[in-house]
Amino acid sequence: MKIGKNIFITSFIFLLSILIFGCKKVIDVKLNNTGAQTIITGEINNLEGPYKVTISKSVNFTADNSSPPVVGALVIISGNEVIDTLSELTPGEYFTKKIKGKPGQAYSLLVNAEGKIYTATSTMPKPVGLDSLSFLLGRNDVIYAVANFQDPPNVANYYQFIEYANGEQFGNGRGNLVFDDRLSDGRYISMALYDDSSDIKQGSTLTVQMNCIDKNVYTYLNELFQISGNGGGFSSPTPANPESNISGGALGYFSANTVTSKTVKLQ
Amino acid sequence: MKKAFLLSISLIATLFSLAQHKFTISGTIRDQKTGETLIGATIVLSGNGNYSVVSNGYGFYSITAPENSYLLSAGFSGYQIDSSTISLSNDITKNIDLNPEATRLQEVVISAKEQNDITKTLPGMQRISMSEIKNVPVIFGEKDILKTIQLLPGIKTAGEGSSGFFVRGGGADQNLILLDEATVYNASHLLGFFSTFNSDAIKDVTIYKGDMPAQYGGRLSSLLDIKMKDGNDKNYKVSGGIGLISSRLNVEGPIVKNKGSFIISARRTYADLFLKLSHDSDVNQSIIYFYDLNAKANYQINQNNRVYLSGYFGKDVLGYGHQFGIQWGNSTATLRWNHIFSNKLFSNTSFIYSDYNYNVSINHTTNDLAIVSRIKDLSLKEDLQYFAGNKHKINFGFNLTRHTFTPGNFKTSATSSYNSLILPNKYAFDGAVYVSEEWSLGNNLKINSGLRLSSFDMVGPGDFFTYDSRGNVQTIKTYSSGQIVTSYLNLQPRFAATYQLNDFSSIKASYSRNAQNLHLLSNSTGSNPTDLWIPSSNNVKPEIADQVSAGYYRNFSNNQYAFSAEIYFKNLQHQIDYKNGAELVANQLVESQLVYGKGRAYGIEFYVTKKVGKLSGWISYTLSRTERKINGINNNFWYPATQDQTHNLAVVVIYQLSKKWTISSDFVFNTGNAVTWPSGKYDVDGRTVFYYTERNGYRMPPNNRLDLSATLEGKKTKKFESSWTFSVYNVYGRENPYFIQFQDDPQNPETTQAVQYSLFRWVPSITYNFKF
Repeated sequence: MKIGKNIFITSFIFLLSILIFGCKKVIDVKLNNTGAQTIITGEINNLEGPYKVTISKSVNFTADNSSPPVVGALVIISGNEVIDTLSELTPGEYFTKKIKGKPGQAYSLLVNAEGKIYTATSTMPKPVGLDSLSFLLGRNDVIYAVANFQDPPNVANYYQFIEYANGEQFGNGRGNLVFDDRLSDGRYISMALYDDSSDIKQGSTLTVQMNCIDKNVYTYLNELFQISGNGGGFSSPTPANPESNISGGALGYFSANTVTSKTVKLQ
Repeated sequence: MKKAFLLSISLIATLFSLAQHKFTISGTIRDQKTGETLIGATIVLSGNGNYSVVSNGYGFYSITAPENSYLLSAGFSGYQIDSSTISLSNDITKNIDLNPEATRLQEVVISAKEQNDITKTLPGMQRISMSEIKNVPVIFGEKDILKTIQLLPGIKTAGEGSSGFFVRGGGADQNLILLDEATVYNASHLLGFFSTFNSDAIKDVTIYKGDMPAQYGGRLSSLLDIKMKDGNDKNYKVSGGIGLISSRLNVEGPIVKNKGSFIISARRTYADLFLKLSHDSDVNQSIIYFYDLNAKANYQINQNNRVYLSGYFGKDVLGYGHQFGIQWGNSTATLRWNHIFSNKLFSNTSFIYSDYNYNVSINHTTNDLAIVSRIKDLSLKEDLQYFAGNKHKINFGFNLTRHTFTPGNFKTSATSSYNSLILPNKYAFDGAVYVSEEWSLGNNLKINSGLRLSSFDMVGPGDFFTYDSRGNVQTIKTYSSGQIVTSYLNLQPRFAATYQLNDFSSIKASYSRNAQNLHLLSNSTGSNPTDLWIPSSNNVKPEIADQVSAGYYRNFSNNQYAFSAEIYFKNLQHQIDYKNGAELVANQLVESQLVYGKGRAYGIEFYVTKKVGKLSGWISYTLSRTERKINGINNNFWYPATQDQTHNLAVVVIYQLSKKWTISSDFVFNTGNAVTWPSGKYDVDGRTVFYYTERNGYRMPPNNRLDLSATLEGKKTKKFESSWTFSVYNVYGRENPYFIQFQDDPQNPETTQAVQYSLFRWVPSITYNFKF
C-alpha cells in the first residue's frame, strides 16, 4: 500500500503541471552494456491448465524490446505429489501437461537452462472472490475501474489486478497493480485501479482479473512496479532490481496464485 | 556531566585569580535607528596593547584590560565606526549605538583586520548578511535565505528551485536549522520551492559547516543558526512587498520606547486565488497555498534582565476539491531570559517548543482516510558565557529536550477500505552538557576547544521489536511508561585553532565530532512532507560524524577582497538507507525496513568575496567527493551518494549602477547528481523492465544557469521608501535536467527512450517593496 507516495506523486505532478513552465525532451544518454541475464516468469493457478513458463534473455538498452528466447531448457513444476515436465511448444515458452493448481498447495519450479539450475517455490493462497466492478471518474474525465471485494479477516492477503480491454491485456504491461491488506485487514475493499486507463473506452468490454498471490510474489511485483512505468521519477526511491523468488541468479518470478475475474460492457 | 562541570568551575576559579588589577568594560551594541542589537560587531580597546572582542548573539560584549586610558571603537559591517576615549579605572557599563549610514570610505576602514574572516570566524563558518540576501536573485523574486546559502562553497542544493540543501556531503536531515534556538523540522514550503523563513523577520544568518560550537549538536553536517529581528524600539514602522506569487507585511514598533519592542511579519502566497478564475475544472478546484507568521516581542526589565518571546507559525495547504487534501506546517515558540550576572558573566535561559505535523485527508466516493503525524519537542536550554579576561572566553551550559513522536494515526469511517489504526506514540529524552573555551595565546594564536556530552534515552511505554537479518520480528518486549528502552551517551570533542600569519592572512585547522539521534526517513529522492522522523532506538544507532578541516585565509587590496581555501575530510558512521520497496508509511515495524552502513566525504572549497564598494559579490567553487557503503547495497562496495557533486561553481555579482539602480546576477554550474540508470532491459508480462547494475553509477547532465535582477529605488523621503525589483530566473532558458525517465517510445513501442524533464526556464517576476 502506497498511500503516502501516491498522494504525493499525484499532487506533485499536478503542482508542477500548473505552476511551472516545464518541458520534456528525449535525450541521448550513454548507457553501459552488460551481459545478458536470464529471465524466468512462470505461473500456476487454480484454473484449468496448461500453465506457462517463459524463459528469455535481457538485452541492452538501445536494442529492440523483444527478449531473445532461451530454448531447450528442462522445466519442471511439481507439487501436490505431481511432477510435470513442461514442453517447449514455441521457442522459450514451456507448457505444463498434467499438473492442476489447487489453493493451499505449495508448488516448486525447477529450470535447467544453459547449464545453470534455477529453483523457486510459491504457495497458492486461498481464493478471495471479486464481487463487482464499479467506476470512478477522475480528473479530466478519466475513468478508472474499481474492484469491490471482501478481504478475509485475520490473514495477510496479497492481490494482483490485471485489466483487459476486449479480452486484450492493456498495452505495455499497464493495468497491472498489486495491493496488500496491511492497513485494510477484514475490510470491504473498493480498490480503484489508478493506472493508465486510456484503454477503457465506451462500447468496449472491460475485464478485471483479481489474483491472490503469495507474499514473495507481492514483494517482487511491488518492487517491479515501483521501478517501471510512472515510477522511477523524482519521488521514487533509487531504482534497484526487484527481489526475485527464484534462486540461482535469474530475474523474474514464479507465482502460484488463484484467479477470479469480472467482465462488464461499458455503455 | 559532573566532571565537565567541576572542570569548568576550576577553570573559572583559576582565571579569576589571574584577572586582578584589571577592570571590565561591558555593554550592548545596538543600531542607533531601530534599537536592534547587533550580533558579531567588533569592539576594540586600543592603547597600551590591543584588546578586541565580538558581540554575542544578543549584542552583549565584555572586555577586561589593565587600568589605563584607551580608545574604544565599535564597528559593524555597513555601520559607521563609533570611537570614544575612555579611562578604565573602574568597571564600566557602556552601551554603544551605531549609526547605520556608513560612507563607502568608512566601510573599507571597518573591514580592517578585526572585521573580517581571517581571524574572527571558526573554520567552516560563514555569516551572510541580510543585505546580500536581499540582492541575490532567486526564483519567483522571493528573497530566500536557504537558496542564497546554496551559493556558498560546500553547500549544494537538493534540486532545482529547492530550499533543501546538503552540506559537505551530509544528508538533507543532517542540517540543524534553528530559528531563535527552536529546531525547525521541515524548512520548506510548497514541496521545497520556498523556504519557511520570511527574510523580513530575520536579523542574522550563520552557517557552520560541521565545526559547530560545543553549545550545539544533534546533527552531523551543519548548523544553520537563524535569529529573528527584535523589532524597532524607537518608532513604529510598516514595510512589505507585493509580488506575483506572494505578498508580505511587516509591522514593528516599541512596546515601551527604548525598553521593549515587537515585530510581526506575515506572508501568504495567492497563486490559488488566480486558479479559481480558471474555467478548467481541473485547475479551479485545486488548492495550493502557504502562509507563515513570525512574531517576537522583547522587554528590557532593567540593565541586567531582558526577556524575549518569539514564535513562528507556518502552514502549507495542498488539495483538490473535497477529494484530497494535505496540510503540513511547523510551529515554534521560544521564551528567553537574558540575565547579566556580572559584567563578565552573561546568561541566556530558553524554554523552547517546536512542533511539526502533517495531516492528509482523502474523501473519495468509496473511500475515506485521514492521516495525522507529528513530532513535538519541549526543551530547556541554559547557556552561560564567561568573559574571563582579554584572553579567555568560556561558554558552558546544558539543554534537555523531550521528544514526542506520533508516527501516524489513521482514521477511517465504517465504509472505508482502510482500517483505523493508531501507531503508539514514541518518547525520547535528549540531553547535553557542554563547556568550551576561546583562548588567545599571544597575539597570533587563537584556540577554540570544547566538549559536548550528549545523552539520548528512548523511553516507554510501548512494544519494542528486534529483527533478524531479513527484517522479520525476532523478539517483542513491552516497556512500561518512563522505563528506559535504550540509552546512548556520546562524547563529542570540538577543536579549532587559528594562527594569524600576518595582518592579512591566517591559517586554521579543526576537528569535530557530532552525533545525531533523530533520523529522517525519506524513501524518495525529493523532499516530501510525509517523510518520517524517527529517534535512535534499540535498532537504530546514533549517527556519528568526525570531520577534520584546514584552511588558508587571505585578504587583498587593502582588505577589499577576501580569499579562503578550505579542505575537509569527513567520516560517517551508522548511516541509514532503506531496503528495496521499503514501507515507511504507517508501519509499526518501520525499523525492519532499514539498512545501515558508513560514509565518507572530502573536498576543497575556494571562496573569493568582495563586500564593499559599488561592485560586490563572490565566487565560490567546490571540488568534492561523497560516498556511502551500505550493507546489502551495491554488493557492499563503496558508491557515490546521490548528493555527490564533483564541481560546484557559483558566481554572484551585485553592482550599484546609480543611486536608483542596483543590478545583480548569479551564475551556477555544477556536476549532475549521481544516479542509478539501467544497463539493460527485459520483458515481464508484457511490461518493459530495466536491469540495474551498480548503484549511482551514472551522472545526470551538468546544470548551469544565469539569473538576473534589477532593483529600482523610488524617491526616498523621511516618511516613505519604496523599490521595484525585476528579475528573470534562468535567463538563457537552459533546460536543466530535473529527472530522467526511461520508458517505451510511444511512437515505436518496440524501442525504449530516455526522457529528460526540466522545470524552470525564463521565470520572470516583479516585486514592489515599501516601507513607512
